[in-house]
This record gives sequence, C-alpha cells and structure tokens, in this order.
Amino acid sequence: MAGGLGLVADEAQLHSWMLGAQAGDPVATRQLLDGLAPRLRAFFRNKGARPEDAEDLVQETLIAIYTKRSMFDPEQRLLAWVYAIARYRMIDRWRRIGNRGLDLPIEDFEHALAAEETEAGDPKSDVAKLLQDLPEKQRVAIELVKLKELSIAEAAAQTGWSPSDIKISIHRGLKALMRLVGSTAKGA
Amino acid sequence: MTTDELIAALARSSDKAGPKRLYRRIEIALVLGFLVGLVLLKVTMGFRPDIGVAAPMVALKAGFSALIATFAGGLALRLARPLGDRGQLIVRLWLPLIILALAALAIGAVTLLTMAPGERFAAFMGNGFPWCIFLIPLFGLPTALLLVWALREAAPTRLTLAGAAVGALSGGMGAMVYAMFCSVDSVTFVTIWYVVGIGLAAALGAILGTRLLRW
Repeated sequence: MAGGLGLVADEAQLHSWMLGAQAGDPVATRQLLDGLAPRLRAFFRNKGARPEDAEDLVQETLIAIYTKRSMFDPEQRLLAWVYAIARYRMIDRWRRIGNRGLDLPIEDFEHALAAEETEAGDPKSDVAKLLQDLPEKQRVAIELVKLKELSIAEAAAQTGWSPSDIKISIHRGLKALMRLVGSTAKGA
Repeated sequence: MTTDELIAALARSSDKAGPKRLYRRIEIALVLGFLVGLVLLKVTMGFRPDIGVAAPMVALKAGFSALIATFAGGLALRLARPLGDRGQLIVRLWLPLIILALAALAIGAVTLLTMAPGERFAAFMGNGFPWCIFLIPLFGLPTALLLVWALREAAPTRLTLAGAAVGALSGGMGAMVYAMFCSVDSVTFVTIWYVVGIGLAAALGAILGTRLLRW
C-alpha cells in the first residue's frame, strides 16, 4: 500500500508517533492520524466500501484509534492494531446499519440541512421542531455540533460524552432526521 | 466535518493516555467478582458444613477451577485488545484451554471406568442432578459483569471470541466459589461437570459477546 511513495509514513514512524500520542503530544497525535488516514481510506476502498462510506469509516476509525490509544501495547505492531480496529469498525457499521435501508453519507444530510436553510423562512426552528422527535443524545449532539458549530471535542467536553459517542450520535441523528424530513415531505 | 477537521479537533484535545489502565480494571473485576460471588454463595446456599475437615478437597477443586481460569484469563487479556482476522493465531490462543478441558474430561471418564460398576452412577451424578453446571455460571456472574465493564473500556475487536473468553474466565471464577459449597468430591464429578459448567458459561459469553462488548 505504501507503493514506494516517500510521503507515506512507515510502521516505525507511525509507531513512534503513537507513543507520542500516548504521552499526550498533540503534534505526534496529529502526525499519527494524518499518517493513518490515507492508509485507512485505501483499506476501506479495497474492502469495497463506497468512497463516501469509506470516508465515514475512516473518521470513525480515527476516533476509535484516538480514544483507545491507551490500549495500544508498545510491544505490538502498530499497523496490525490499526487494521484490526478498522476491520471492527466496518463490521460494527454493518451491524448498526444492516444491509437494507438507506446508507447515505453524513455529508448528504448536511447538504439537505443547508438546502433547507436557504429555502425555508426560518429553517433553524423547523429543524428544531424535527429535532424534538429525536432521542435526547442525538438531539443534543446535533444541536451542539451542527447548529451551534462547536467542534466534536468541544461538544464532548461540554456533555461529558466521548468524542466517538458524539460523532455516532450525530450520524444516527442526522439519519433519523432525514427520515423525518422525508415522511413529512410526503405527507404534505 | 471533513477528515482533516476531525484530525485537527482530536489532536487539539489530546492528553496523556498511558497503556496500563486495562490491567488495573481487569484486576479489580477478578478480585471484586470473586469476593461478591463468595458473599452471594454464603448468603444464599452457605458453605459446605464440613468445610474445615474437607479443606484439602475444597482446595483441590478450587485449584482445578483456578487452573482453567488462568488459561482463560490469558486468552481474555489478549482478546480485550484489537485483534485482526488471523485464524492461525486465534487457534493457537485457544488450543491450551481446549486441551486442558479435554484432558479433564478424559481423566473423568478414565476414573469412572476404573470404578466398580455399582459405584459408577453415584460418582458420575453426585447427589442426583449435577446442578453445578448452572450454579457455576451463576456464581461467576458478578465476575462476568465486572469483566464486561473492564473490556468495554478496552477495545476488543473479536466480540464473540472475547465473550467466550470472558465467559470461560468467569465460569472458572464461579467454580472456585462453588467449590466452597459443593459436597461431591468424586474426581469424575468434578472433572466432568465443572468443565461442563464452565463451558456453558463460555457458550453464554460467546452468544452475548457481540451485544455486550460493543464499543
């Protein structure tokens, strides 16, 4: 996968960045995640995920790597550890979503929400009405990150939930929201 | 949110996260789970009345259970951390535990065959039905719940296998607890039914693993 590109970080380099990330070094954390993102993208595409799904999976895996970094044993090979998590995130996604039903990437919902904002008179209150129908966790996560435009980390700090919790709640919430929008549109 | 933004946000909020926490939680789970199991047994069924005189037999049965728990524990520790799709490694990890269980069953069978035919049934069945196959998982339940708590913090990626390992470990701990009550000291009974009880706990763990250990 490294394909001879000098730019792609190798096992030893990634491993040392992981140790940095465990020590709480933000620069090493950034380098680690930046170094892993293209590898993960290639991994998920190789496994047959659509490009937009692959990007979601890349993000979920990066969050998992970040939140579970304390579980990495420095004696282990880093890439084996990373790919085991990537594989798990993919299987977990199948379990969550199943093979049936629509599986649209998160960006589509963002576009849908953005489109509503330009078309409707007072979009935020429309969205707010629909948001009331969501489970509390999903509603709060969407409000904080998508409407108040906090970062995932800020939302996590504010709610006390883990960043991956927030991300997943947003994902599920937006999906549910999309269904609600669809059903009200049909009803009208 | 683009992946770059996500990475930037994660890196900004990074803090220290050393690699030792998993072991602490598992230690807590094992010690606390065993103690809660003991208290549960004492309160509900009580220890066997002759526990003082029978101490050597109790120790032998608890030791046999502890041996299985040790093997299962090594497995659970490995499966608590990310493990990929490596069939050979997984077989190699499980092999010791499976050999141990088969050896115990074989010892039970051989011991049974060396007995006089008239004594066999009592040695095999104990005092009626071997309820220990259900009681062993039951008294392992506190350990199992605490281990689930420990493993959710970890990052198991093979949930069915991790669940089975947690079940076997909890079953082993449950058998250690149960040995304080169990008044049947026949080798056949212990090697066969204790292993069946622990195996039942492992099977339950495998079934519930994907549900309970998701993260």
